[in-house]
Amino acid sequence: MNLERMPNEEKLSLCRRYYLGGFAFLPFLWLVNVLWFFKEAFLKPAYTEQQQIKSYIKKSAMGLIVWVAVLTTWITIFQHFRARWGEVGDYLSFTIPLGTS
Amino acid sequence: MADHVENAVNNVSSDGTEAHRHTETSPGRTEVELNGQPPTARPPQVLTDTEEDEDEELTLKYGAKHVIMLFIPVTLCMVVVVATIKSVSFYTQKDGQQLIYTPFREDTETVGQRALNSMLNAFIMIGVILVMTMVLVVLYKYRCYKVIQAWLFFSNLLLLFFFSLIYLGEVFKTYNVAMDYLTLALIIWNFGVVGMICIHWKGPLRLQQAYLIMISALMALVFIKYLPEWTAWLILAAISVYDLLAVLCPKGPLRILVETAQERNETIFPALIYSSTMVWLFNMADSAETRNNSSHPVPEQENQVAVAPTAQPEDDGGFTPAWVDQQQHQLGPMQSTEDSRRQIQELPSARPPPEEDDEERGVKLGLGDFIFYSMLVGKASATASGDWNTTLACFVAILIGLCLTLLLLAIFKKALPALPISITFGLVFYFATDNLVRPFMDQLAVHQFYI
Repeated sequence: MNLERMPNEEKLSLCRRYYLGGFAFLPFLWLVNVLWFFKEAFLKPAYTEQQQIKSYIKKSAMGLIVWVAVLTTWITIFQHFRARWGEVGDYLSFTIPLGTS
Repeated sequence: MADHVENAVNNVSSDGTEAHRHTETSPGRTEVELNGQPPTARPPQVLTDTEEDEDEELTLKYGAKHVIMLFIPVTLCMVVVVATIKSVSFYTQKDGQQLIYTPFREDTETVGQRALNSMLNAFIMIGVILVMTMVLVVLYKYRCYKVIQAWLFFSNLLLLFFFSLIYLGEVFKTYNVAMDYLTLALIIWNFGVVGMICIHWKGPLRLQQAYLIMISALMALVFIKYLPEWTAWLILAAISVYDLLAVLCPKGPLRILVETAQERNETIFPALIYSSTMVWLFNMADSAETRNNSSHPVPEQENQVAVAPTAQPEDDGGFTPAWVDQQQHQLGPMQSTEDSRRQIQELPSARPPPEEDDEERGVKLGLGDFIFYSMLVGKASATASGDWNTTLACFVAILIGLCLTLLLLAIFKKALPALPISITFGLVFYFATDNLVRPFMDQLAVHQFYI
């Protein structure tokens, strides 16, 4: 997809859909949204829809940061305490490394 | 580069006309170019020669650029497959499980029996591919687009979720990393959904290309794991022949598909074709980016055939068996692969870009080609006694084959099969290197003789 050739309304609609889609537990979609539309929103001369695209990008970025924080916290907790949790830890694990207690 | 080339063309033509005009008024300019020949006698010829040269140059420039544009994804796919084979032992372990399309086992007592079994396996596989291709052609002819699209959708779904789950699990096991279900579910969910969006709907080009490479690599790995030795090599050889026939024979299914698409002036489904430019059928609009990459062909103006996808039949073949193999997978995947192949073929020929597309044309390669190339290199790295020698030799052989195929594409300007030349070179290099070069180099090393 080439953003250059798309009319501005379509860009806005695409950005908006990516933003809304990210609410379905899809932080990756928000990341893609931010990266893809970053140039459009911030590095291009202004056009009518740009303000809205900027707001979507900002909201996506915020959502992304929240998700990253939550995930990092959870992963840290899991990796650290997994062995200590005994059964619950095993139940939650997809793969269990060998050779650890 | 497209810009540059375009400018070059414009400059040439404008220079030509200028020269022509100048000759009438002042012969100085053309005189210099023509080494003192009388300007009036020359300019028209100079003009045509220059134009012809420019055309040829353009074709070659386009061809060279396309080659490079396809080298990178093919290389990436192969690198992913080889890296996985080398590090994750799961894909080289033979569990005794085989795909349902290769029912005959190879652990027989006599060599003759084994040869016979593997040939039967290869026949069955090719037969299945042929049947699937015919079904696809029929569906396409009778305009059952929804069915085809649904198939493609479900097969991609399977690939992006199920296979990548297995892959990720095996990678974690190899590196002894603990992973919980929650994080895993999130990762797979994100990977899969964004993949489906990028491939089937709209997404950044690079991401779409990356996803296509990843699913090709996943398929190739599945093939490497579930096909027994001799069967795999035979299938590679047989698929090349099948591809050649299916694309070039007048009654070949893939050719029928391409021609039907051309008649209807449609593009095929993009889900299984790798394109180096914007390939979306319904989003033909790319301006600047297509200028930098190759864009879709400009049907009205030039021979878009030049961009014709080279590897369709193979793609289908590749996917079909792979899909079929998966015990739980339905027909969907198979068909999708075939579809994708077709699509690849048809893409370039199908559609006229909505606006004035004077940019470079893109190159499209079927995903099945990616799969079989990677499968060959992966098998070479997995089972060759010469190890890296053989792997590199096969890699180089495939790239050379790809170059040649694209050269032929630039010359013939019609849909060509991408498998035969590359796979032939690859097979020849594999067996030659494994059996001839490696013992030679071992002997040299033993005797400490450096050449």
